[in-house]
Order: sequence, then C-alpha cells, then structure tokens
Amino acid sequence: MKAQNKRLAVLFDLRKCIGCNTCALACKSENDVPLGVWRNWVKRVEKGRYPHSREFFLPILCNNCEDPICVTVCPVNAGIKRPDGIVYIDPHRCIGCRYCMASCPYGVRYIHPIKKIAEKCYWCHHRVDAGLEPACVEACPTGAILFGDLNDPESEISRAVAENAVQVIKPESGTDPQTFYIGLDIESVEAKQTEDK
Amino acid sequence: MDTQVLYNIVHQEAFGFNIAMYFYLTGLSAGSFILSTLAYGFGMNQYKAIGRVGVVLATLLLVIAPFFLLIHIGMPHRAWHLFVYLNMSSPITWGSFLLILYPINCIVYGYFMFKEKIKLTRIFGFIGIPLAISVHGYTGFILAFGKARALWNTALMPILFLASAIVSGIALMILVVTVKDRFFSKTKKIDLELIMNLGKLLAWMIVFDLFLVGSDLLVLLISHSDAQAAADLILGGKFSTLFLIIENLLGKIVPFILLVIPRFRRLTTVVIASILVVVGIFIMRYVVVVAGEYIPLL
Repeated sequence: MKAQNKRLAVLFDLRKCIGCNTCALACKSENDVPLGVWRNWVKRVEKGRYPHSREFFLPILCNNCEDPICVTVCPVNAGIKRPDGIVYIDPHRCIGCRYCMASCPYGVRYIHPIKKIAEKCYWCHHRVDAGLEPACVEACPTGAILFGDLNDPESEISRAVAENAVQVIKPESGTDPQTFYIGLDIESVEAKQTEDK
Repeated sequence: MDTQVLYNIVHQEAFGFNIAMYFYLTGLSAGSFILSTLAYGFGMNQYKAIGRVGVVLATLLLVIAPFFLLIHIGMPHRAWHLFVYLNMSSPITWGSFLLILYPINCIVYGYFMFKEKIKLTRIFGFIGIPLAISVHGYTGFILAFGKARALWNTALMPILFLASAIVSGIALMILVVTVKDRFFSKTKKIDLELIMNLGKLLAWMIVFDLFLVGSDLLVLLISHSDAQAAADLILGGKFSTLFLIIENLLGKIVPFILLVIPRFRRLTTVVIASILVVVGIFIMRYVVVVAGEYIPLL
C-alpha cells in the first residue's frame, strides 16, 4: 500500500507566475471542461494607481483539502477522499444537488452543463496514477507550479515548502487546504468584483 | 489602496429560487401541523376548528415541496441514491428520511382525526411534533453547514427557520379558515373569536421572529469581514429593499401593528396582516438563500 504513505500537494510560486492562463487552457483540453465553467483559473487583480501599480495573479484550483467540507456534506457519499489526499467525485453516484458547491469556501465546483453532475479539479488523478504530473503543472511555461508528495522529504515540493514562507487561501475555513502559495497577496485574495453579476 | 479585479470567473448559483420555495413550503407545512396539534394534542379546545384544516394543509404542502427538490437536482432519476448511500454528517441525508416519515405520520394522524379517534390522534400528534420541528429544522442545518457563506453559517439558522415557519403557518391558517368559512361552510359564518385568537398568536410569534432576525443581524455586523459584507448586502446593498422594506417592514412590523392595536382589530385587518406575513416570509426565504450566496467567495 504505497499510496497510503503519500500526501499529495500543489505549490504555486507566484513570483514566477506571469498570468498567461496556460494552466487553465491545459486543464480545459485535458479534462474536456465545457464552455462557461472552469476547473482552474487565474484571477487578475490590479493594485495601486499608475505609476505605482502592479498586477497580481492568483491561480486557483481545488485545494483538495485534508478536511474537505464538500465530502462532509455530500448526502450520497459521492465525494471521496483518496488515501493520498486527492478528493474526487464519483460521477455515477452524484445526484447534482449542488450542496457541495454551496459549501465549498473556494467556489471550485461547478455543475457540468450537460451531465448535470458536480465536477471539479482532482489534480488529474488519471495522469497521476499513470506516473505523470497534472496537465496544468506540465503546461506551466515558467515552472511556477509544483506537484508532489509532501511526505517525501526529498521531493521538490516538500523542499520548496520547507524552505519558503508559504500560505494557503482562507486558512480560517478550517478545511486544511493542500494547495500552497509562495508570495500570496492577501489583497488579491480578498478583492471582490464590485459590479453586479 | 486601489484594488481592482481585472478578471475572475463567474460562478454558477448553487441554490436558488427552487430551494427557497422548498424551504417556504416545508415551513408552511410544519407551522400548520403544529397549529393542528394545539387542539388535538394539547387539548386547547378553542383551536378545535383548525385541527382538520391544519393536517390537510400540512400533508398537501409537504407532498408538493419535494417536487421543487426534484426540479432542482440535476439527476432526479438518481434520487434513490439518497436512501441507499447514506452519509450521516449531511443534513440532506437526515432530510430524505424526514421527508418520508413526516407525511406518512401526517396522513395517519389526519386519518384518526377524521375518524374521531381522539386518543390515537393525540398519540400521532405528539409523534408528529418532533417530526414537524425536524423536517423544517433540518433545512436550517442545510444552510448552517454551508460554512463558506457568512449569512448561512450561524447556529441561529434552524431556530430562525422554525420561528418563521410558525409565523407563516399561522398566517396561512387565518387565510384558509376565512376562505373556507366564508365560501365553503354550511352556515357561511366566520368564527371571529378563533380568527382573533390566531391573530394574537401571530402577533407574538412575529415579535419572537423579529428578535431572532435582530440578534442575527447584530452579530453579523460585529463579526468577521465576510459577515460584515453579508450584513451590508442585506442592509444597504442589492437586497436591502427586499430585506428591510418587504420582509421586515411590510412582512412583520406592519402586520404586528395591525394585529395588536385594538382599534384595528377587525376581520379585514387580520386578513390583510396575514397576506402581508405570508408574502413577507417567502421573501425572507428568498433573501436568505439567494443573498447568502450572492457575494463571490474569491
């Protein structure tokens, strides 16, 4: 049972992120994500006023939390947490009640417009099981995304998490998210769209 | 600091009108049931006339309510999964069993009531009270467990829902009893004393409901930033007209004044107050559900 000793995680090095959206594009083509919904995306925030301004990029995907609220509230046990930490949805079990969408603090779930079931990023577990990296990690042109096993002290991600100041989005939500960020800007997390929907 | 979101995705709405409607109907059902047990469970004979109306309403409304859930869920033909793959930490799992047990109990209770078997009616009435409280209380837990949304994630939510359920149940009962007596009874005579008693009950339940809404708001205004944003949304933002004017002013404060001031105490005013309450509580459900998920999370 090798899988049980793993704790998979994702680390975004925002110092390297150029906001090119390649990760979102790679995900769309790898996972056949329909129009209008996203499994990962890059939020763009501009801070300050010219000439003292800068754009910040916040790539977001499912945090595959250690204590996922979506799995806690799923009425049919369609949300499943694997021993290596990946949280996925059983497509044959889900009834599309949207309770997971309502309770997720990160808003990473959507209802597939045709299949009418909940879907989200599961770190491309079909690729991970085949020994590959998730599509977004492989596609990132600047190498800003790391993926690997936090329980292996020699892996690139655990060294990077150990040697840098890291942060997660919304630690107060109590879900113990496993997507880490280097150089996370709190203003760009909290900035909300001001105009109406 | 100028901070501007240049790009972000738009999220789908998780709950919406259908869920608000479902909460509204279960609330009306639970309220009607509790009213019908006043006479047949607790022996308050002045409410005997509404016992039968109450149980018929409770059953009918609870038969309609789950259809809104079936419309809402994406895979209605998989609804049987709810009874096979149980997750006891999910309020929806509790609810799927309550939604079966409660209408069955309502039908049995109603059957014995119409057969005039007082003792059996009483027993099933007492079994039904906790069921009625749970069938509406669990909907409060559904929202309270949605911990990402500040407007929902409060321990007050189940009791707030129950209070508004009883308020709307009394108001609906006043309307149904009036219509029934005026148009469908043999004597065409309205039992004014009963209506006035129900009106008084309604007035004091409105006070309790207002107290709960007030406490919820006060804590939201002091709590963490998401909670303050939610309070701003319903007090001064997009939902302020619905929340302040329709739900609370027209739906609670005006009916309360109409009901308690002796000069206004006539059938017409009680009926007007009841209509306002029935509409106001629907707006309350709508505001809680839709405003709760209005603010984007990221």
